[in-house]
Amino acid sequence: MAEAENTFRIPIGPIHPALKEPVRLSFQVEGERIVGVDIRTGFAHRGIEYMGMRRNLIQVLYLAERICGICSVAHPIALTQAVEQAAGIEVPPRSQYIRVIISELERIHSHLLWAGVAAHELGFDTLLHLTWKVREKVLDILEELTGNRIDYAIPIYGGVRRDIAPDQYPKVQGTIRYYRGLLDELLDTFLRDPSVEARTRGVGVLEPEEADALCAVGPTARASGLAKDVRQDRPYLAYGELGVKAITPRDWGLVPRGDVYDKIVVRLLEVGQSLGLIERALLEMPDGEITSFPKIPALLAHLKKAQGEGLGWHEAPRGEVIHYVRLEAGVEEPVVWKVKAPTYSNLMSWKPMFEGQEIADIPIIAASIDPCICCMDRVHIVRGEDETGMAMEELLRLSRAKTQRILTGNG
Amino acid sequence: MNVDQVLNVLKAALGEGLAHTEVRVRRVGVKAPVELKEIWAEIDRDAIVPAVAALKALGPVHMSVISGQDAGERIELLYHIAVGYGTEGGEVMVTLRLAVPKDDARVPSICHLIPGAETTEREKIEFLGVEFVGIPDSRHVFLPDDLPVHPWRKDEPEMGRFLRRMVEWEGKDG
Repeated sequence: MAEAENTFRIPIGPIHPALKEPVRLSFQVEGERIVGVDIRTGFAHRGIEYMGMRRNLIQVLYLAERICGICSVAHPIALTQAVEQAAGIEVPPRSQYIRVIISELERIHSHLLWAGVAAHELGFDTLLHLTWKVREKVLDILEELTGNRIDYAIPIYGGVRRDIAPDQYPKVQGTIRYYRGLLDELLDTFLRDPSVEARTRGVGVLEPEEADALCAVGPTARASGLAKDVRQDRPYLAYGELGVKAITPRDWGLVPRGDVYDKIVVRLLEVGQSLGLIERALLEMPDGEITSFPKIPALLAHLKKAQGEGLGWHEAPRGEVIHYVRLEAGVEEPVVWKVKAPTYSNLMSWKPMFEGQEIADIPIIAASIDPCICCMDRVHIVRGEDETGMAMEELLRLSRAKTQRILTGNG
Repeated sequence: MNVDQVLNVLKAALGEGLAHTEVRVRRVGVKAPVELKEIWAEIDRDAIVPAVAALKALGPVHMSVISGQDAGERIELLYHIAVGYGTEGGEVMVTLRLAVPKDDARVPSICHLIPGAETTEREKIEFLGVEFVGIPDSRHVFLPDDLPVHPWRKDEPEMGRFLRRMVEWEGKDG
């Protein structure tokens, strides 16, 4: 693109998210308007797949757990299913339900974390404190069930590592009741607030045709009205029986517009959906074994003999996770291990979302696909040879000032 | 969408280009298990564009990812494409497998059919040294553009040393 004289370039990043894909966004702006964006990733590429192809499968499971600190059960769930398909391992019914319960608890904590971040980007810090305070409850129950607030170490090939004991059921049900009571308040504070609406309506729009063509996943795709949810489209574990339906803004009585507001709608409604799924899974969970290989050496021996390939997928809080694994008999490590995280699919959707928007909306649009931008720390404005540092705080200040303008009626 | 529909359009579109197909079944569910079928097809390199076009004509397609492997003399690519999202259990996962010789590692790009495939094609350029003919943007995604090696290639003499250096902080691969 030929740069007009009044076009500036603003590189943002490298963002350093806790994901596999940190991002550097280089914007072309004319005045306040964004006219183009270039996306670069890889600033903290750890070569996890390469490392995995040099370790035995149990060690790979530990690596997979650490691909993402927020959806830390999503990758093990996809990996275990891929390996189970490749090695022909059966998964006992009870453990399938336990995997579902932990996954849905994780979705609640991830979506609440995101809602807090979104509120912060807009300058509503009371809302940030409220959502993060209530998020503690789900971390507590995860700690109760798994021993950890994150990195739960629950799925293993052929089952899960920990059972949910009967005396823990009331605690889980208590957590569900707690969030049921809160959800209406949260929906009300986010979705019926005129200033939230003013900052997010028509901002960062992803048209349904774009979402489809660019293969967007998760809430990013669903906010544009695509009924795309792996739990519904390609059922796995016990999801087929629990009957998951993809949530779009239509469930809130809205025509999907694919903007940031719609992404808030989808994520908050999904918290409610997860509560229902956990409740039913707990009720319908059959008794029985939790793993088909109680002893790790037996499991390793079986895996070493296995020959084959498999695909495993999961709807993580941010969208589709998919793992491909190929095993060869006599080799401990996977010959091929390919990991695809949701942000990988959503990267390209950023482009149409940014174009035509204002600089002050960069933080909330960047956050709207839910990458972990917690460590995005600096911005540079480049004009010719002059380079001016622009701190993340400055961008945040711009974003918050815009909210203030709207609130005081000077927008 | 079901497996037979997908198989039929693939057969009709590819003819000779479809070397082999296999339907793999996985039992899903607990109380009333259902069979979820996946298609694994081997195709010629030039059949990738008609294959993707045929799938796209059939229903909404989702390009999940391309995985690949250095298989000695050849490089093998696996396109994991899901067809027909939007209905309960109605999506069929199709894996198209093709191989290219190392001395002529070129594959037609499918970006003009599925723009969302660009990221994953670019990733294969840097990791496996495959050239995608017609890709709108061929820069690296994760690795620096001037990186001298393709990490998943097993035949580059510099690679072992380079990768050992990359992971030596770990103290295990050294």
